[in-house]
Amino acid sequence: MNKIYLKNEIPAILKENKSTPRISVCVYIKITEAEKKAGEYSLLNRLFLQGTKKRTSEELAQELDENAIECYSEMKCDFIRFKLLCLNEDLEKGLDILSDIIQNSTLDEFEKEKIKLSGEITAELDSPKSKAMDAFYKNFYENHPYGNTYTRVLEELDNIDKDEIKTLYTNLLENSPKIISVAGDFEGINIEELLEKYFSSLKNSTNTNQNMPVPELKEKKVIKIEKEDASQAQIIQGWMFPTINSEEYPAILLLNTILGASGLSSRLFVELRDKKGLAYVVRSMYETFNKSACFSVYIATEPKNIKTSLQGFKIELDKIKNEIMQEEELENAKNNLIGKREFFTETNLQQASLMGYHEDKGLGYNFEKELIERIKKVTVKEIQEIADKYIKEPSVLTVLAPKKYLEIE
Amino acid sequence: MQNIIKKEIKYPYLTKPVVVYERECGHKIVLAHKEGELVNVSTWVKTGSINETDANNGISHFLEHLMFKGTSKYPAGYFDRTLEAKGAIVNAATWKDYTYYYVTLPKGENYKNLNLAIELHADMMLDPILPENELGHPFDISKPEEVSEKRERHVVIEEIRMREDQPWTKVYNAVNNAMYQKHPYKRDVIGFASTIASIPRDTIMDYYKTHYTPNNMTTIITGEFDNDTILKKVIAEFDFKGRENYQNPAFEIDSPKGETGYIQNTAKINTGFAIIGYLGPLACNVKENIALEMANIILGDGQSSRLYQNLIEKATENIFNIVGSDYYSFRDGSNFFVQANFNPDKKEQAIELLKEEIEKLINGNISEQEFNKAKKKLKADFAESAETVSDISETIGYYMTVCNSLELVEEYLEVLENYTIEELKEYIKKYLPVKYAVISVLMPEE
Repeated sequence: MNKIYLKNEIPAILKENKSTPRISVCVYIKITEAEKKAGEYSLLNRLFLQGTKKRTSEELAQELDENAIECYSEMKCDFIRFKLLCLNEDLEKGLDILSDIIQNSTLDEFEKEKIKLSGEITAELDSPKSKAMDAFYKNFYENHPYGNTYTRVLEELDNIDKDEIKTLYTNLLENSPKIISVAGDFEGINIEELLEKYFSSLKNSTNTNQNMPVPELKEKKVIKIEKEDASQAQIIQGWMFPTINSEEYPAILLLNTILGASGLSSRLFVELRDKKGLAYVVRSMYETFNKSACFSVYIATEPKNIKTSLQGFKIELDKIKNEIMQEEELENAKNNLIGKREFFTETNLQQASLMGYHEDKGLGYNFEKELIERIKKVTVKEIQEIADKYIKEPSVLTVLAPKKYLEIE
Repeated sequence: MQNIIKKEIKYPYLTKPVVVYERECGHKIVLAHKEGELVNVSTWVKTGSINETDANNGISHFLEHLMFKGTSKYPAGYFDRTLEAKGAIVNAATWKDYTYYYVTLPKGENYKNLNLAIELHADMMLDPILPENELGHPFDISKPEEVSEKRERHVVIEEIRMREDQPWTKVYNAVNNAMYQKHPYKRDVIGFASTIASIPRDTIMDYYKTHYTPNNMTTIITGEFDNDTILKKVIAEFDFKGRENYQNPAFEIDSPKGETGYIQNTAKINTGFAIIGYLGPLACNVKENIALEMANIILGDGQSSRLYQNLIEKATENIFNIVGSDYYSFRDGSNFFVQANFNPDKKEQAIELLKEEIEKLINGNISEQEFNKAKKKLKADFAESAETVSDISETIGYYMTVCNSLELVEEYLEVLENYTIEELKEYIKKYLPVKYAVISVLMPEE
């Protein structure tokens, strides 16, 4: 793995994996200017595949599919990430399209994409889980761009103006830091030359400041959503946590593993699923943004189990805080987490994505290695302290169920 | 060592041939080479809802859950805990033709983790004890209050509930059921809560003993290791102790009814959902399967597909939110699906437009461009499935279990290379006329 700088000073991180049939390139563009209306960046993100100065949206779709090239962008609140994945022999074609959609999108299909986005969101919200998650994050990050969920987008979509999107696009191209990451087999190609050829006209910026505040959760919120024909209640409870650049990050990852993310042996899984038969899906999640992070627990259960499940959560959370954890459990969690991180970075696309992600966070492309070492050093006491310090009110609790089961708290 | 039949298969995008071993007892072992630290250990069993009846529908999947509940040697939870503590992902899945169990983990120093995974996996596959206290006692689903302790029966019932809340699953189950008359494929793999609540432990154990036989099992190891050493290890751990074999029965293959079927259900939703379903060729029929895979790509896969371009991108009226198609291969005949989410006020129009696109595929022209796109995509799919140890194992498991042969991979690529548009059109005409379809719709309640 090595890092080079293109002539325009955009860093490019390269990792060679020999004998792999598909190569992957990611381009990260930091979002420095917060959206003013919910959905602005989601809309812009969709417009990247809807036509450039050289290609119509149909031509783009044809060219990509004819060559079995995957090329798309993702909006992640703090950045827009472009992903390219193609057979090694099609790399140059892929780079040509990738560079084109980043730099030359016309945004002409603005009105059509609005309608499509609204339709897709409406369809997605017919899933009770999506509906509950939407309500959770909307309230957790209320009045903050991180809380611009599906329903917030539906509220504001009609008021978004094309010129606003154009301004955001120009700003991304002109004033945002960019990172390129590549993983794959470089045999027979000069990857540096290719990156120069396709990305030298991009403009880099060193301004990493994001004009958005640090989210705050000031009071406890209980959100109840009535869904009369729901077979299962959807329950999510979450707390505000430090994020990836914190000293506590490795310990939080381990807290998540032990509590509810290790697979079939986490505490929530064993206690609430195996021993109490309350659920098929029960887990904890830790989702990080640049300015903040959310640690949450989730269960989907028969509506009459709501109280038992909430009690179950409380018992397990109290246990983490108050009972001394066995060293063996921590050691197992460390191995689990390290093995799992390897599992989730097996492909070139996953590797390119992670290297760029860490670089974008200012942690360095090689942060994974450092992180593994830091994970190994975490103590039982640190995990307990973190649980104690952050898993406390205020929290946001969201419950979706038929009305008669919502008589809680 | 026993008599073992050994075959080498040239597998696309892997640096070495895949080796298939068949033991005298009928147990198959497949070793695939993929460079890297991760290894995957899995066993595929030739049973799923295909071997079920109305009385025991859901038993294959319930058994899959219970296989994790301990053996004579190790108590429930030991397998998950021990392997996850080595960084493993462990899980299993049940479908119509098969049930499979897998472990993916870093192979460890001197292959320590790989060896441990093979030991524990073999132990779980060969000696599950299905303890009553882990299953929970049988109960009457209409009297849930009589249950004092909820255990794995309830976990599966929660999984059933979860699926009841998913609109796509609802509309799929309705179409799947209506597409078949007699074949066991008509049943939902997960079964009914009433059956899961009441099925006795011994019935499940009998089912295990009948179907988990050497000839019905394929064990696949993918990763970087010495083949001879790992082969010996797998043979030593998979000691079937003379277990008798079982031949899966043949079932009468259903044909389409000859007139378009239509089913409509309702739910508390805001959009309309539709699936148009067709019966297709047997999984082992490479030529015909390729045709329907290509038809799927041309009609409904991705943004360049006809459905997406004509019904969303170029639509003059806003009717569809989501459109696409899908293709699934099964031993006794595949399924081709066209799916859509639409504005419920425009239901009639939506169905007509979907039908029109299908008719155009049958009666209209298929361009060179579309044909070549489909061909390239099918080749690239092999590259995609060669990227991770789990995907490699999964593809091998599918061919070994559903098609009974990994040699089909070689045949597939050869047939694909020589395919013609005329052949493609012939098979589309054979399988996709609208009169052979069943249309399932899920609409908002009035």
